[in-house]
Amino acid sequence: MPEVTRRHLLMISAAAVFLPSAAMAQDPQAILQAAFDNWRATSSHAVAEMTIRGSSGTRSLTMESWTEGSDNALVRFIAPARDAGNATLQSGRRTYVFNPKLNQVIQLPASAMSQSWMGSDFSYSDLTKTEQLVDDYDHTLLETRSQSGHTVYVIESIPKRGEPIVWGKQIVHVRDDYVLLRQEFYDQSGNLVRTMVADRVTTLGGRPYPSELTMSSVATPGQYTKIKTLSAEFDIDNPDYLFTRSNLQNPR
Amino acid sequence: MLAALAWRNIWRQPVRSILSLIGLAFSSLLLVFMLSFQFGIYDTMKVGALGLLDGFGQFQPVGYDDDPDISRLLPNWQTLVAAAELGGVDAATPRASSFAIMASGDTSFGAAIMGVDPVTEPKVSTLASTIIEGRYLQEGDEAAIVMGEGLVRNLGLTLGDNVTMLGTGNDGAVAADVLELVGIFSTGISGLDRQITQMPLARFQDIFNLGDNVNVIALGGADFNAALHAAPVLTHMAEAEGAVYLRWDELQPELKQMITLDLSTAMLSYGVMIIVVVFILLNTLYMSVLERTREFGGLMALGMRPTQIGAMVWLELIFLSLLGAGIGIALGAGITLWVESVGIQFPGMDDVFRQWGISGRVYPDLSLLTALAGPSVIVISIIILGLIPYRRILGLEPVEAMGAA
Repeated sequence: MPEVTRRHLLMISAAAVFLPSAAMAQDPQAILQAAFDNWRATSSHAVAEMTIRGSSGTRSLTMESWTEGSDNALVRFIAPARDAGNATLQSGRRTYVFNPKLNQVIQLPASAMSQSWMGSDFSYSDLTKTEQLVDDYDHTLLETRSQSGHTVYVIESIPKRGEPIVWGKQIVHVRDDYVLLRQEFYDQSGNLVRTMVADRVTTLGGRPYPSELTMSSVATPGQYTKIKTLSAEFDIDNPDYLFTRSNLQNPR
Repeated sequence: MLAALAWRNIWRQPVRSILSLIGLAFSSLLLVFMLSFQFGIYDTMKVGALGLLDGFGQFQPVGYDDDPDISRLLPNWQTLVAAAELGGVDAATPRASSFAIMASGDTSFGAAIMGVDPVTEPKVSTLASTIIEGRYLQEGDEAAIVMGEGLVRNLGLTLGDNVTMLGTGNDGAVAADVLELVGIFSTGISGLDRQITQMPLARFQDIFNLGDNVNVIALGGADFNAALHAAPVLTHMAEAEGAVYLRWDELQPELKQMITLDLSTAMLSYGVMIIVVVFILLNTLYMSVLERTREFGGLMALGMRPTQIGAMVWLELIFLSLLGAGIGIALGAGITLWVESVGIQFPGMDDVFRQWGISGRVYPDLSLLTALAGPSVIVISIIILGLIPYRRILGLEPVEAMGAA
């Protein structure tokens, strides 16, 4: 018996040496980091359609977005005419909004970060704080399940003590190719507040990508916001001026 | 016959009776004044706190109170305005509101933006009277805004400056405008002064893509009680239009709770005062009954039944307490009415009072309730407890009684 145990140990250590990715896959923080890296890459450029189903009907917007690392993001709406030109810039910890009618850039106050972004089910902080999930939460791997030929990791993330986070916890489903399948947001008392689901995963810009995402709130049944990525390229060279206030106001 | 005897007996000991009367009258007077004063403060608080912005009542879309979203619109609001006037309320004003970012240069703050009708709004809300610089919105204003001094200071604005407003319209699209700061108000309530801004309703509806719709109708006017009495009718009218009517205590439940708390603690001290007064008086009267044992024996020997004597003594008590309470009510009402005409100033209480919308003088409010509630509790207690001397008299034997010291 002791020999068997020793052999097992050897096998496990061999696995640890020769299959580092398999070992890493069991670390929930690493899984989440990989998922966000896959989602945003080091840089990206995408065109997406956002459909907002609200209480007063459905509207559809087209937007073009650029990201660089986790600190810089620019979203510019290109259609329909009434919304075209509106843009949001995240630069470090600051968020700016440009409105073409006023031809003015406004830096968002902290109190406005929880407000709806362009009337959608996303808030401004959803745009800027995506990476917060990786660093400011403690993660536990709840379960590993098989789903249509893939392994799916279900991770429970609880905010670290002292972090100013509105959510009580999040539950994230990540596929083994690091596609975020589902993200559930719970309040401090453990009630589900809203859910983001990847309805479709396709290959975009050479990587598996959640090309259709739907965010819906428990409080407003029947209403949702769907983001459909039409085209995307990753790890590109974004010019430096892209994420500046002057480019926000006067795009080159 | 018994009544005449009782009345005469009271004045056989004029000094003692007058002293008792003074005690009774004074405590009644105090109760009348204190209660009137308290209710006066409550009324001032209600009118002040509600009249500042909320109004004495509001028509709202269903669910708006829990989630004041701009997309919750009031059905048939013109009908509801007419309904309010039919219900006897002096004034009604339509409002729309949302959250917006107010920006000036590189500074920006979130605030509530209300679209108000410059003509009817001042009839409901006293906000217009708290303008410290510039002016309130007026008819014909377009891209105009008034805001509280706290927000003005935070944004580093001066009168006449342009403010950029960025919000989300009813349809979810961006609602943006540049507005000229025409007036700065100071309500003394820092939360309001930092978070409330107002612009003309028509422009608001245009920018926020509301069409002709509004979110709420606030009711107000000169008479708080008119809105109070109209509440059942207004609730009914709101239901008929598929909306809800919120009474003052639903608009500001914390005000209602504070009044209830204050009133119940006050009741406790009034209760203690009444108990002390009643027992002191009863003691005096019981002593006089003991003193008069010989007299009662004599009366019985003359053929008066103990029940008749008891009734006579009881009547003495009743006359005395009614007389005392009556004098107290008369004096109390007189003093209260006088103070009502001049008001009372509380130096050093300005900040506390301002939080509840009270400014300057406080006026008592004499009513049938405040005049009669306290004194009648005293009188009724004395009448009930007067059964103690009555019972004692029933146990008297004529011969023994005549021999008493």
